[in-house]
Amino acid sequence: MIHRECGVLKTTYEADMALYPLPIARWAVAAIAVFFFLVLPLSVHEYYLSLVNLISIAVVGALGLNILVGYTGQISIGHGAFMSVGAYTAANFAVRLGAPFWVALPLGGLMAALVGAVVGIPSLRIKGLYLAIATLAGQLIIEWTINHVSWISGGVQASIEVPRPRLGSYVIGSQRQMYFFLLVFVVLAIVGTLNLMRSRVGRAFIAIRDQDIAAEIIGIDIFRYKLLAFAISSFYAGVTGVLYTYYLGIANYEQFQINVSIDYLAMIIIGGLGSVLGSIFGAIFVTVLPIAIRYAMEAFGDVFFSSAAVLNIIPNLRLILFGGLIIFFLVVEPEGLNRLWRNIRSYFRVWPFAY
Amino acid sequence: MRRCFVILLGLLLVTGAAVAPAAANHEIVIGMQCDRTGATQTVGVNLCPGYHDYIKLVNSKGGVNGHKIKAFEIDHEYKVPQGMESYERHKKEGAVLIGIYGTPHTYALTQKLTEDRIPGTSPGFGSAAAADGQRYPYIFPIAATYWSQGAAAVKFAKDQLGGLKGKKIAYLFYDNPAGREPLPVLEDLAEKEGFQLKTFAVPPPGVEMGAQALDIAQRYRADFVIAHLFGRSPSVSIKELKRVGYPLKKVVSFVWGAAEADIEAAGGFATAEGYNAMQFAGVGSDYPVLNEIREMYKKEGQQPPKEMASTVYYNRGVLQAAIHAEAIRNALKAHPDGKITGEDVKKGFEQIDKFSLGGLVPPLKITATDHEGGGLVQIYTVKGGKFVKTTEWYNAYTDVVAKHIHEASAKK
Amino acid sequence: MFDWQFFVLLMSNGVLIGLMYSLIALGFVLVYKATDAINFAQGEFVMIAGFVVAVALGAYGAPLWLSVAIALAGMVVFGFALERVMLRRLIGRPIVAVVMATIGLAAILRGVGPLAWGADTKSLPLPIPDEPIVLGPLFIPPIQVAGAVVSLLFLAAFGYFFLKSRKGIAMRAVADNQQVAMAMGINVERYFGLAWAMTGIVSALGGIIWGSLLGVDVHLALVGFKVFPVVILGGLDSIPGAVIGGLIVGIVENVAAGYIDPYVGGGTKDFAPYLLMIIALMVRPYGIFGKTIIERV
Repeated sequence: MIHRECGVLKTTYEADMALYPLPIARWAVAAIAVFFFLVLPLSVHEYYLSLVNLISIAVVGALGLNILVGYTGQISIGHGAFMSVGAYTAANFAVRLGAPFWVALPLGGLMAALVGAVVGIPSLRIKGLYLAIATLAGQLIIEWTINHVSWISGGVQASIEVPRPRLGSYVIGSQRQMYFFLLVFVVLAIVGTLNLMRSRVGRAFIAIRDQDIAAEIIGIDIFRYKLLAFAISSFYAGVTGVLYTYYLGIANYEQFQINVSIDYLAMIIIGGLGSVLGSIFGAIFVTVLPIAIRYAMEAFGDVFFSSAAVLNIIPNLRLILFGGLIIFFLVVEPEGLNRLWRNIRSYFRVWPFAY
Repeated sequence: MRRCFVILLGLLLVTGAAVAPAAANHEIVIGMQCDRTGATQTVGVNLCPGYHDYIKLVNSKGGVNGHKIKAFEIDHEYKVPQGMESYERHKKEGAVLIGIYGTPHTYALTQKLTEDRIPGTSPGFGSAAAADGQRYPYIFPIAATYWSQGAAAVKFAKDQLGGLKGKKIAYLFYDNPAGREPLPVLEDLAEKEGFQLKTFAVPPPGVEMGAQALDIAQRYRADFVIAHLFGRSPSVSIKELKRVGYPLKKVVSFVWGAAEADIEAAGGFATAEGYNAMQFAGVGSDYPVLNEIREMYKKEGQQPPKEMASTVYYNRGVLQAAIHAEAIRNALKAHPDGKITGEDVKKGFEQIDKFSLGGLVPPLKITATDHEGGGLVQIYTVKGGKFVKTTEWYNAYTDVVAKHIHEASAKK
Repeated sequence: MFDWQFFVLLMSNGVLIGLMYSLIALGFVLVYKATDAINFAQGEFVMIAGFVVAVALGAYGAPLWLSVAIALAGMVVFGFALERVMLRRLIGRPIVAVVMATIGLAAILRGVGPLAWGADTKSLPLPIPDEPIVLGPLFIPPIQVAGAVVSLLFLAAFGYFFLKSRKGIAMRAVADNQQVAMAMGINVERYFGLAWAMTGIVSALGGIIWGSLLGVDVHLALVGFKVFPVVILGGLDSIPGAVIGGLIVGIVENVAAGYIDPYVGGGTKDFAPYLLMIIALMVRPYGIFGKTIIERV
């Protein structure tokens, strides 16, 4: 009944290779767009919009990391450091040169891409765990550099206040305005990633992940493409850092430390390595988890524990659940929430005639 | 299928409960941040109960001018996104005052608090420049900032050494922005007082600092050590300095290396004899307000909470709550009906003067231009198995600190 | 004029603390050597063991030998259980899976520790004097001597185990080629469990010594981060490498802190070993003693 591919015939190559060739997919995307651009921001309290804003920023970061880890198979624990590079670059440009956000943001991304390519150089000689630890070293070194070079960090406090982004004379300040601001970039990131993965570059990445020796044999220059993967992923990370800076109004490297890198790794593992939808799911899941646990404990905690104990239990419980869920997904469903979603979808594809 | 149904039911229950009602009528909501599982959890698990206990005490006596206070705590694990989300949640619940917890969070929330006109406090941490009430109208350090602490430490060293000219001071600090913040003030004072200053950075997490200790004791041979460390590193510093034979009575630590927990972890009070610790709240259990809290628990038939034994952190929580309550009291004087906003509480803060809670709180004077309250600290020393008060409340070199605050405001 | 005394002090400090790092790295190497799994939760193992001993000593007033025994037994059981429940299912998965699984485990342990035993710092008093032993110009803290001795003892014990005993040889066979080992009749899974149990033992001792040095609370897990430069420099699967790597890291840290820090404003001590590690990775990725199996690109 809902079998989507029935009666869909294409006559040109462009039509066949479109991002959403099926009419039902196009309708679905249009409906989602209407929901996110019109319905949600106008109907919901600002607090929930602030949550969505945090999730949006996380989505961009998760997409970037997935390009590197999910699609190209290079493990990186340095994502947080690239974010702080982007953040500080943009902040410096905004504050010292008065650059508007649409100049500072790409510059932040580009700087992060450059640094990312440098950190990615070891990937040409080492793989797997060794690469992961090399990126860990990169994270620590970048942190130290920002911490100590006050020309970058803006002084002893290592924080740079940035003015709110503005379009002409319109200042983007409230959560609702931020929502639209961030939504634009999230859409750009998602569409960009989808298209990247359908392109020649994306196919090269996947080849490198699956069988890099074979890829080299058929002529893919893995040196170049690995660096490109690091650079693109770090560009996303830099943009995430800049968005975060504009959201908070301040750039501070303590927000981009190793726990952030690990959080993003968790996002893409839980969400599903190597898929855009997986990155989105993972970002939502990891960002909302602590908040959901808190709500649940507030609602039910008094039943079991005294109120003082509840306050102590909530945060520890969230750590335990966080770790437990990572392990759960790794053991039970290694392809993450994305696979769960695909299972549901393929079930409905032929429903009700499942045989 | 049934599993799906069960999961859906669970989700519905959670969301249903989440839309539960917030504060009742006439309750004044304070948003309290805490860290009970993150990098500073050893502080948070003792400080936040102190806060809650004082609020409980106030409510048990009928609240502030008849209005009860609801202190709504959210643990942000010392992470900034969670801190931001908790702020939005507090705002949604109608908080008129935020108790910020953590230096990066103070930085992150500064703009938002100013835009939303809700005051936030950052006692003993945060940005020292925020003492300037004109530049940062909605941030209230309400306790000595790191600049004031630095100045006070130098004064203590001066008193202990009988003058600073030509002496060698070592500054042992945690290598993060908060640790480096006092540097400009210390360097300024080094020039002014004619002493030699050498800095020794301890990179996080600071679990090992043998080389720095050796350097201080053997190569540089400092006359006095000013230590500004966090987390686990204060206790490690005590052990290391002792190990290289450096006398602990020539060490003074900033407020976050100054708790019973640090002394215990270093091997106990007997080992740390002579160690000097700076405090911005009173230490020990011998204060009237603490007795009242114990009474309150006894009346309920319960033991006083074990967190009370960690008096350094617990009392800081009480101090924070007390100053919050005082600001609310001042705000209510202008609006007796209880409908106060963030701005009213801000003005309430700026009227705080001569409020000392039996000695637990220093005699702060918070004004519209000085949100720090004077930068007052006390020094306690480890003597004979416990903390003994060595000085009264004092501040030092206020002119130097004021100069730096002025420079910082002019810069941005 | 070069300050020899300072240099010697720095060196001795570096050597001793390096051996204490080796103690933790040994646990990591054991697991990798036997099961090819990378344990990102090594620091948390040390922390949990420390908690058990500290609580047994403090809250329950048990004598030291009993607390240590409880910790050892507990960590052994924990190691076996961990392998059975979690790691067995991850055999054959890409490396990212095992790494993330241990990261998840680390998060769980970091939550369980304070939840079960409270977030306050507990002290772990050992009957080791605090006053340093003075040997000429050297100040040597007894606790570090204890740590160094324990490290070296374990080095000897495990070296003998792997080289001479039947079980040790069997474990090496399993690490080399699981299929063939199974074909020879070796119960691979049991040896995995044994490897994790041995890691547990080493972690328990590490927990006792480091816990005594630092105090036991959630921060104790942070010593786990020191492991990586040590094992990369020494070789992921080499036990003597863990010791040598530890020595190198300890010495490099102290030299950096003593001689480089004053010029760059401090803080190099933490990432100097990592910098060295990157150079080593580019030049000789398998470490000084490791086997040359790592895939080169």
